[in-house]
Amino acid sequence: MIVSLSVLVVVIAFSAFLATRQPSDATVAQSPLLGKPAPNVAGTELGGGTFSLKSELGEVVVVNFWASWCGPCKQEAPELSTYAWTERHKGVAVVGVVYDDTVSSATGFAAHYGSLYPSIVDPGGVIANNFGVDSPPTTFVINRQGKVAATLLGPTNAKQLAAVVAKVLQ
Amino acid sequence: MNIVKSFRLWCLAFLCVLAVALVAAPSTASAQGRIAHLETLVKCPACDDLSVAQSNATSALAVREDITRRVKAGESDNKILTSLEATYGTSILLSPATSGVGSLLWLVPILVLVALVVAGVRLVRRR
Amino acid sequence: MTLTWLGRVALYFAFAGAIGGIIHQAIALRTGRPSRSLRWALVSLFGVGAAVAVMQIALITHNFSLAYVSENNATFTPLLYSITGMWSALEGSLLLWALLLAALIAVVLRFYRRQSDDRVVGWATVVLFGVSTFFIGLMCGPADPFIHNGAKILQGAGPNALLQDNPLVAIHPPLLYAGFVGFTVPFAFAIAMLITGRVHDRWPLEQRRWTVLAWGVLSVGIVLGAWWSYQVLGWGGFWGWDPVENAALLPWLTGTAYIHSVIVQDRRGLFRVWNLSLAIATFSLTILGTFFTRSGVLQSVHAFSSSTLGPILIGFFSVTVVLGIGLLAWRGDRLRSPVGVDQALSREGLFIANNVLFVGFAVVVLLGTVFPLLYEAVNGGQVTVGTPYFATVAVPMSIVLLVLMTLAPLVGWRTLDVGVLWSRVRVSAWTSLLVVVALVLFDVRRPMVLLAYFLATAAGGAALRTLRGAFVTARRRSQPWWDALRGPSAGGMIVHLGVVIMALAIVTATSYTTRNEVTLATGQSTVVSGQYVTFKGFQTVKDSLETATQLRVDVDHHALLPAITTYHGRSDQSVGTPAIDSNLERDVYVTFDAVGGNGATSGAQVEGNLPAGSVVLGVTVEPLLAWLWIGGLLLGLGAGLSFVRRRHNEVDAA
Repeated sequence: MIVSLSVLVVVIAFSAFLATRQPSDATVAQSPLLGKPAPNVAGTELGGGTFSLKSELGEVVVVNFWASWCGPCKQEAPELSTYAWTERHKGVAVVGVVYDDTVSSATGFAAHYGSLYPSIVDPGGVIANNFGVDSPPTTFVINRQGKVAATLLGPTNAKQLAAVVAKVLQ
Repeated sequence: MNIVKSFRLWCLAFLCVLAVALVAAPSTASAQGRIAHLETLVKCPACDDLSVAQSNATSALAVREDITRRVKAGESDNKILTSLEATYGTSILLSPATSGVGSLLWLVPILVLVALVVAGVRLVRRR
Repeated sequence: MTLTWLGRVALYFAFAGAIGGIIHQAIALRTGRPSRSLRWALVSLFGVGAAVAVMQIALITHNFSLAYVSENNATFTPLLYSITGMWSALEGSLLLWALLLAALIAVVLRFYRRQSDDRVVGWATVVLFGVSTFFIGLMCGPADPFIHNGAKILQGAGPNALLQDNPLVAIHPPLLYAGFVGFTVPFAFAIAMLITGRVHDRWPLEQRRWTVLAWGVLSVGIVLGAWWSYQVLGWGGFWGWDPVENAALLPWLTGTAYIHSVIVQDRRGLFRVWNLSLAIATFSLTILGTFFTRSGVLQSVHAFSSSTLGPILIGFFSVTVVLGIGLLAWRGDRLRSPVGVDQALSREGLFIANNVLFVGFAVVVLLGTVFPLLYEAVNGGQVTVGTPYFATVAVPMSIVLLVLMTLAPLVGWRTLDVGVLWSRVRVSAWTSLLVVVALVLFDVRRPMVLLAYFLATAAGGAALRTLRGAFVTARRRSQPWWDALRGPSAGGMIVHLGVVIMALAIVTATSYTTRNEVTLATGQSTVVSGQYVTFKGFQTVKDSLETATQLRVDVDHHALLPAITTYHGRSDQSVGTPAIDSNLERDVYVTFDAVGGNGATSGAQVEGNLPAGSVVLGVTVEPLLAWLWIGGLLLGLGAGLSFVRRRHNEVDAA
C-alpha cells in the first residue's frame, strides 16, 4: 500500500512538473561578435520604408533573424511582438531580418503572426553573414553604444528578452 | 579433456590473462589521452548534443584548439573544464557538475537500484 | 475548403466510431448481451483511413489549400516524399498513429471475435477504444491536420531537407509508431485482467505473442532510426542520447524486461505483479515519449514543436499510470502467486536481476532526459546531460547484462548446480579467454574493449549452445531441422546473438573510430587512417528538386559522392550529404566540410586561405560498424521467429 501510494505521489508530482514547463528558452551564446561594434543592419522593410541601425544609436536594439519556414520562429513571433509593443516607448527597438526566404512568404508570415515590429529583407544574406547567423531564429541585443551585447540562439520569449536587456542596460 | 574440464585451471588461466591485460593496457595519462577524454566531455557550442570530439563545426574546432593548448600548458582537467564553463556557461559540459542539484543525477540512480534490489530480494524471500 | 471539410468529417466519423465502441462495449459488459464491437472498430478504421486518404491525395497532388500540405510539400516534391510528408510534422504524425491504432484494434477484435463474450476481452476492448478516442480526439481539437489556408499559396515550403534525402523516412516512423501502438494491446489486457480479477488464467500467456510482435517491430524501428541518422546527420554517429531518442528507448527497455519476465510467468506462474506493472509502464512510457516529442519542452533535432499539446499528453500519461497503480493496489491480494522463488541463484533469480537492470536503466535514462528541466526550475541556469552521463551508466549495465545473457540460458529452473553450469559454459569460457589473448596479440589493449569481447563471446557461446541443443533435439525426434527454429528458445537465442554482435560493433566503433580533416586539391590523393583517398573534382546536380554540389571522391578505389545539397522550396535549405564506403571491416564516412577560394555557389563553408579547387573533407574511419546493422537484422529475425514459435508444451503437436 505504501509502495503504491508513494509511486502515485511521485508520478503525479512528475506529471505536474512536466505539464507546467514552458517551451525552452533560447540559449545565450558566446558569439565572436560580443563587445564589438555591430555590423550594419539596414535595408527595406517588408511593408515598405527603410531601416538603418545607425539611426537607432542611443537605443537598445534587438535584432532577430527569422524565416517563414522555420518552426521555432513561429513560436517566437508573438513573443517578440509582445515585447516590442511593451518596450516601444522605453528606449528599446526591435527589428527583424528575414533570413534566406522569399519576400512573399515572409510578408505572409508577418501578416499571419501580426508582427508589431518592422522586418527588413536581406538580399544575398549579407547581413546574416556579417552576423555569423547559420540557423534561425537567432537574436542579437545591441547596446546603446552600438556594440553587440548578447547573442541568443533558438526561440526566445518576452520574459527572457526582458531579463537579457535588463542586464545589458546595467 | 581434463584440462578443459577443470574449473580451477580455467580460473588460473583467467587470472593470468587478466594480469597480462592490465599490464598491457595503454596509459591514458598522456597528453593525447587527456585531450581526447576532455573533448568527449565538452559540448560543441552550436550543436544540441554532440561533443567537440564528434563535431567539425567551427566553434567545436575552436574549443578543441583551446583544450589542446591548455593541456599542453599543463592545466589540470578540472581547471580546464571550469574555465570553459565560465566562458560558455554551464550548458557547455555534457555531464553536469556533481555539486548541488547535479548530485541528484548520481544519487537517484543509486537509490533506485537499492529500491529495485530490495524489491527483487523480497520476491525471493516470499514463501 | 472541400478537402478541409472532407478530412474533418472523416475524423469526426472515426471519433464517433471510437466513442460508439466504448459505449457499445460498456453496455454489452453491463447487460451481458453479445458484443458487436468489431463493427464499431471498422467504422472508426474507415474514418481514419478516409482522413489519411484525403491527406495523401492532397500531398500527392500538391494541393496547398491545406496549410499542412503547404508547410510540408512543394510542387516538385517526388512521390515518395509527398507520401512520407504526412508524418513530417506533428498533426500528420498523429494521423499515422491513429491509423495504425485503429487497424490494430480491428485486427485484435477480429482475432478474439469468438471470445467476445469473455469479460477480459470486453474490458480490453473498452480500453483500446479509449486510447483510440484520445488520439483521434487530439486531431479533432488542438492538432487539426486539415486547417485551411486562407491565402492562395502557389508554392509550398517542401519537406524539411533532412526528411527528403533518404528513403528510410518511409520505413522508420511507421515501424516505430507500429511498435508503440502495439504495446497498447498488452496494456489493455493488463487493465482488463485487473478489473475482472482474472489474473491467473491463460490471458497473460495469450499476450506474449502480441508483445513479442510489438517489441520486435519497435526494436527494428529503433535500429533503422539509428541507421538513418548515421547516413544523414553527418557526424558519423548513430545515437546521441537525444531526448526524443531516449523517449523511444524508454518503452523499449521496460518492454524488454516484460518479454523476459513473462517467460517466468509462463513456466512457473511467478512475477504476476511485476508483469502487469511492466505492461502498464511500457504503454505509459510510449505516451510520455509522445509528450517529449511534441511538447517543445526539450530541445531536440527530432522534435516537433507545439506548446498546447504538452499538458494534454502529460494528463493522459498520468491518467494511465494512476489507473494502473490504483488497479494494482486494489487487486493486490489476488495477485500473489502461491509459490515463490526457491533460490536466488536460479534461472528465476537471474530473471529478477534482469528486471531490476532494465527498469533501473529506464529510470536513469528518464532522469537524465528531464534533468535539464529540473535544474532550470531550481537554479535557473541551463545544463546539458549528454553521452558521458548515459555512457557511465550504460557501461556497467551492459557488462552485467552480458553476464546474465551468458548464465540464464544455461542455468536450470529452481536451482543452480555449479557442476552442471560449468559443464555447459566451459567451452564458451575457454573460447572467451582465447579471444582475449588473440586480441592482445593483435595489439588491441584497451581494458574495456577486451572485457566487452570476453563477455560477448561468452554470451554468444551460450546462445549458440542453446540453439545447437534445439537442433539436436529436433534431429532426435526425426523432425526437420527448420522445426527447431520454431522451438521455445530459438528465436530468443537468435535475438541474443544479434544483441551480442551489436554490442561488439558498438564497442569497437566507439573505441577505435578515427576522425580526420583532410585538405585536398583537385586530383590529389592521400592516405588517411590506412585509407587511400583521392579527390577527383566537382560535379553539380541541378533539377527541380535540388541543387547539389557533389565531390567526386575515391576511397580505396570506390567512388563516393559527398555533397552539399540545397533543396528548393520556400526555404532553400542546405544540408550536408555524407557518403559512406562500407564493408565488413570498416566504414569510411566522408563529408564535404569546406571549400577553398570563394566557393560562393556551393553553400559549403568557405576556407578563404585555401586555393580555389581544393576542398576540406571530413574522413571518419569506423571499424566494424556494418556489423551493427547486421546484428540489428538478426535481432529482427529472432523476434519474428519468436512470434511464430510453438509454446514449450506444444513440442509434440508440431
